[in-house]
Amino acid sequence: MTLNEGPTRGLRRRRSVAALAAAALAAAAMMAGQLAGTSAQAADPTTLTVQADTQMTTFNPFLSYYDGELNILGAIYPTLTMLDDTGTPEKYLADSWTTSSDQLTWTFKIHPGLKWSDGEPLTAADAAWTFNLIMHNATAATSNGSLVANFKSVTAPDATTLVIKTKQPQANMLYLSVPVSGIPIVPEHIWKSHVSGLKNYRNMDFPVVGYGPFVLTGFKTNQFAEMTANKDFFLGAPHYDKVVTNYYSNSDAAAAALTSGELDQIGGLTPAQFNAMSSKSNVMTYQTQSSGWTAIEINPGAKTRTGKPLGTGNPILSDIRVRQAIALGVNRPELVKKVLDGNGIVGAGYLPPGYPQFFWKPSPSQSLDYDPARAKQLLDQAGYKMGSNGVRVAPDGKPLEFRLGIHSDDATDAAIAPYLKEWMTAIGIKLTVNAMSFDQLNNDLAKGDWDILMDGWSTGPDPTYLLSIQTCGTLPEDNGSNGNTDAFFCNKKYDRLYAQQQTQFDAQARAATIAKMQSILYAGNADLILFYKNGLDALRTDQVSDYLQGAKQSDGFYPLQHGFASWWKAQPAAGAASASEKASEQSSNAFKWIGLGVLVVLVIGGVVVLLRRRTAAERE
Amino acid sequence: MSVGLPLEAPTVSGPEEGPERSDFWVYLARKIGAAIVSFVMLLVVGFVIFSLMPSDPVSALTRGRPTSDAQMNHLRQQLGLDHPLWERFLTFVGHTLTGDLGYSYEYHQPVSTLIADRLWPTLLLMGTSTLISIWLGMWLGIRAGWRPGSALDRGASAVSLALWSVPTFWLGLILLVVFGSGSVGGMPAIFPAGGMQTHGTAGGLAPSHITDVAWHLVLPCLTLVAVIFAQYVTIMRSSIIDERGNPYLLTARAKGLRDEVVRRKHAVPNALLPSVTVIFLQIGGMIGGAITVEVVYSWPGLGYLTFTALRIPDLQLLEGTFIVFSAAVIVCNLIADLLYRALDPRVRRQ
Repeated sequence: MTLNEGPTRGLRRRRSVAALAAAALAAAAMMAGQLAGTSAQAADPTTLTVQADTQMTTFNPFLSYYDGELNILGAIYPTLTMLDDTGTPEKYLADSWTTSSDQLTWTFKIHPGLKWSDGEPLTAADAAWTFNLIMHNATAATSNGSLVANFKSVTAPDATTLVIKTKQPQANMLYLSVPVSGIPIVPEHIWKSHVSGLKNYRNMDFPVVGYGPFVLTGFKTNQFAEMTANKDFFLGAPHYDKVVTNYYSNSDAAAAALTSGELDQIGGLTPAQFNAMSSKSNVMTYQTQSSGWTAIEINPGAKTRTGKPLGTGNPILSDIRVRQAIALGVNRPELVKKVLDGNGIVGAGYLPPGYPQFFWKPSPSQSLDYDPARAKQLLDQAGYKMGSNGVRVAPDGKPLEFRLGIHSDDATDAAIAPYLKEWMTAIGIKLTVNAMSFDQLNNDLAKGDWDILMDGWSTGPDPTYLLSIQTCGTLPEDNGSNGNTDAFFCNKKYDRLYAQQQTQFDAQARAATIAKMQSILYAGNADLILFYKNGLDALRTDQVSDYLQGAKQSDGFYPLQHGFASWWKAQPAAGAASASEKASEQSSNAFKWIGLGVLVVLVIGGVVVLLRRRTAAERE
Repeated sequence: MSVGLPLEAPTVSGPEEGPERSDFWVYLARKIGAAIVSFVMLLVVGFVIFSLMPSDPVSALTRGRPTSDAQMNHLRQQLGLDHPLWERFLTFVGHTLTGDLGYSYEYHQPVSTLIADRLWPTLLLMGTSTLISIWLGMWLGIRAGWRPGSALDRGASAVSLALWSVPTFWLGLILLVVFGSGSVGGMPAIFPAGGMQTHGTAGGLAPSHITDVAWHLVLPCLTLVAVIFAQYVTIMRSSIIDERGNPYLLTARAKGLRDEVVRRKHAVPNALLPSVTVIFLQIGGMIGGAITVEVVYSWPGLGYLTFTALRIPDLQLLEGTFIVFSAAVIVCNLIADLLYRALDPRVRRQ
């Protein structure tokens, strides 16, 4: 080591700092240049970029469960029918249909002359093959097996005729094969070779052979899926060249992506995000009708199918008067105001307002609106006297103390619980809140080990399944297995009406029967519907137009929206920046700000070096 | 050095190295043995933890879809969830020992494939942020510790401890909103709000792809660096302060060396050891990714994979990631132990 080593190294270091700074600037410039270059090179197809509702893991329509996947599948595979803006089935692959006089045979006429995206003919045989596979192969039935449970046989006598025979009349036949919530029809010539390995097949050989407004052309797990327009789609070509669904693992990132222009449309905003975006001139926020509800379920006395009591539910709750008092004690309009920031509808009927044909409200005489005085009176009359500690006691001396199970990962549940606790205390009922995981809560539910639970369901356009989970047939067997009940509700009249609506082909008659069923459920007070939460969505109006389907309603909300129709009918807004222009702008911003950042660092570094030079002698 | 051992192979490296080498093999065998025991224990613990979770993956997977009892039972059979616990454990151990980490029923892919796919994004994010954190933290820590109480020391300690105390997800969200949303104070969005690449860019080693990934990397990396570097600052600072009073530094100064050289050539090498431990712990934990940062920025890495697996829960995927993460920590601890021995003669003599 020499005495000169220090200063020499110091000089070298300063040089290296300068070199580093130059390199950083060069890197920033290169990054910006590359990003801009990328955009300049692009062929500039019009691209609609939307948020994926959920993550996507497979595009095998026989195995898919996530909404993010189902939306894609709805756009790349055909179905027999589709739904119009009001949720009514209309023709898609099937140009027309007839039913036999005994209502057991449906004959669909398939649109002639169509071809799959690989050029092979699309015929009724493909539809028959798809339905038969689901009917006879347990793995193929994973996603949609319950939809064909009543099918007896499906045949294709010729290329344009599909015949479905059912065991019992089936009123919801036209809802069974619709985009997103129904059965997609797949090309037999592609899928027959995948039947043996169906369980592990993810259908990611791009471009995926299908038929619809789009063809699936790319995918990155947990990042995005890309679809390319089918300009020959027989019902009309999409206006965009591509649709990309981006997945974000948290809603704040997705909201940021909309405001920055990375996304053109987003759904599922929180009230805070929704309100924050409302003030932006290039963003349109809108609310859509709800397809589901949030409720509390009250254990009416859990029993098995043979009537054997089950679980540890408090028997006091089997008294309908106690359940009615609880209903009267809950201020549902206040929940909508405080928990949803007003972005919802006060709950009552079992089916949500997103499907107006089935939406039901109780009559004023039947309605159990918030009335704590009446609730107290009802409990007094029923013999539940107020105890010295403010908690009522049953005639046998047992206090009205109940467990309230909430989902530990659900902010809405956590927000509702304190209100419920306070309102119940006011009428002499003590609630103990137990926050549980989704699985724990479901396990307790199945075993009947609960008093009151937070509950939530959504439904597709056909409510059959949601109605079914209130039938006696879904109670568990005596050994506790095979139960699928929502709240251990069981009512013979309800079951009869359930069977009846399944056979009613007249839409209005069926809706009337379903209204009666909802009336029975409302009176039963096992499911107390608190509210229907509106969808809070936003759209970049400077980028996209005609995205929304259906007219704004009198309450200010839009009808339920479906990716299938919105993606197909959306158009680039006049003057919208192309994908390349957006990328170019962002990269130019990045360059400016990174350059500025590097400059600031250089200036600070320079000042520090100068100061250190001046004080070098002192430090030595 | 043990005195009872015969001096063997003296001709190669001198009479002192024979026993030391022999000691090394004993030391190595002991450490590897301990690592194997740890691995076996984590196999049991991993299985037990996830099996005891009150969960029904089938009902979680089918949530909100019309699913009959028969469909659900078939799914349980397919996923092997209908087998008794002991049978599942034996299958799990057998598969793990043969390198089969199971099958993810959420992703419909072998767990090992999923982990391999996510390894690179995680290594890129964690590797970059760890390297920057080590460099920045040690650079600051050395200077702060060399002149305790100086403005640099006070500033570096205050800033790093403040950032260390900030919840990672909170910091991530703040940076995201400020730099990724274009809605704060008129500043445009300069970095992407999430993901690892822009849709439509070429993949592979194309320059446009590399810069695009780097562009996406900035915010998650910045978040991690802000949180991680503090530990290097504090450890290096206290180690340097410990060394400052040692006589050998006085000797170095007496030789006429400049203050900077004394610090760099003499103080820093001796103060490095505690940092080595932290660095290797960090590298071991690196493979697990940073769940919060990956989730905030939708970064498709292993931490994010674990997060999604927990929601169902995807038991085999959870078990697989648990094994890989834990094995990485065990291996890195083993390397740290061996490196310690190489770096510090005192360890060799113990």
